[in-house]
Amino acid sequence: MSDDAADVQRVLSGDVDAYAKLVDRYYDRCARFAIRMLGNRDDAEDALQSTFLRAYRALGRYQERDRFSAWLYRILVNQCRSIAARRSHRERVFVREEALLLNAPDKTPAWSGEDEELVQRVLNELDPLLREAFLLKYVEELSYEEMAALTGAGVSALKMRVKRACDKLRERWERIRDD
Amino acid sequence: MTDRELDPYVEWIAREAKRAVAIDPMAVERVMARIRLEPLPRTHSPRWRWILQPRALPISPLVGAALAAGLVGIGILLGHFQIDRGGQSSTGGPTAFAVQQPPLAHDTLIKFVLVAPHAATVSVVGDFNNWDAQATPMTRTPTGGTWSVAIPLRAGRHVYAFVVNGANGTTQWVADPTAPLAPEDGLGAPNSVVLVGGSAS
Repeated sequence: MSDDAADVQRVLSGDVDAYAKLVDRYYDRCARFAIRMLGNRDDAEDALQSTFLRAYRALGRYQERDRFSAWLYRILVNQCRSIAARRSHRERVFVREEALLLNAPDKTPAWSGEDEELVQRVLNELDPLLREAFLLKYVEELSYEEMAALTGAGVSALKMRVKRACDKLRERWERIRDD
Repeated sequence: MTDRELDPYVEWIAREAKRAVAIDPMAVERVMARIRLEPLPRTHSPRWRWILQPRALPISPLVGAALAAGLVGIGILLGHFQIDRGGQSSTGGPTAFAVQQPPLAHDTLIKFVLVAPHAATVSVVGDFNNWDAQATPMTRTPTGGTWSVAIPLRAGRHVYAFVVNGANGTTQWVADPTAPLAPEDGLGAPNSVVLVGGSAS
């Protein structure tokens, strides 16, 4: 039995604190996807809170034959979609993160705020479907089959989204270079 | 496409985006504080596991008559439950409807039906199964291209869609053409809404 499956069993047996191990194990990776996908930390934390809450409520339906991380990611991708949908009704404003970074633990000392802001800004310019596909492929490094299981989209559609995302990013780079 | 084929700039974006993000040290504790307010997660009893297994389900005479009369796609009223058309044309596309069955225990058994004669497999996804396309496969009726599944849902609003896999390997997410659409999710994938124990909005 994997560590994940063992922790799930402990939670189902009544040991709620065992869920903290699962949250600890996956929070950072999920946070990276949510922040890159949604572009700001407030929305990302909303997505993460609701993801881990929904996963907890649905834990009785988790099947050990599935990887817990893949199951959790399916929920996370959907929560990011839901929050993006709610946010689409209000103006999108890029929020500088320096203040939050100053209050956060020094886990990324080599990464300048300028680079982070530029990367996030460029990602934000992508259509959400393209951004999602790009992040799953090249940041989370999932296979297309894994991406298909997460998103419900076909492999060929996902390959097209990734290619279009790369084309858009390249166009963006050429605009920067020419300016 | 492999990493080696990436444009150097795109590769730089991917590399930078892979860096770990700074996390508020209290974030995990906030999650756990919320979790501790929740009851223990429910595990399905053998009875529910039996109910959730995919199997052929008979369609009521009223629904059968409606299908035979070509009334599919027109709002269907059965018992106390009604789903109105969402204003979409069903011509040439799959046609579907959800029907509320008599209550069972604390949940209500909802039957989802989709007419998709050219599909190889169909499943229903929604907030009730964490949008897992493998969780709730639908069963084709012996007589044709109608797919159905009945699942117990808690009272309240549920967002759902159908995942239709074609024989040629294509996969489509399809909103229920007979149900109200959920607000646009910003990702181009329309979903539908069913209210259990009330009318859809």
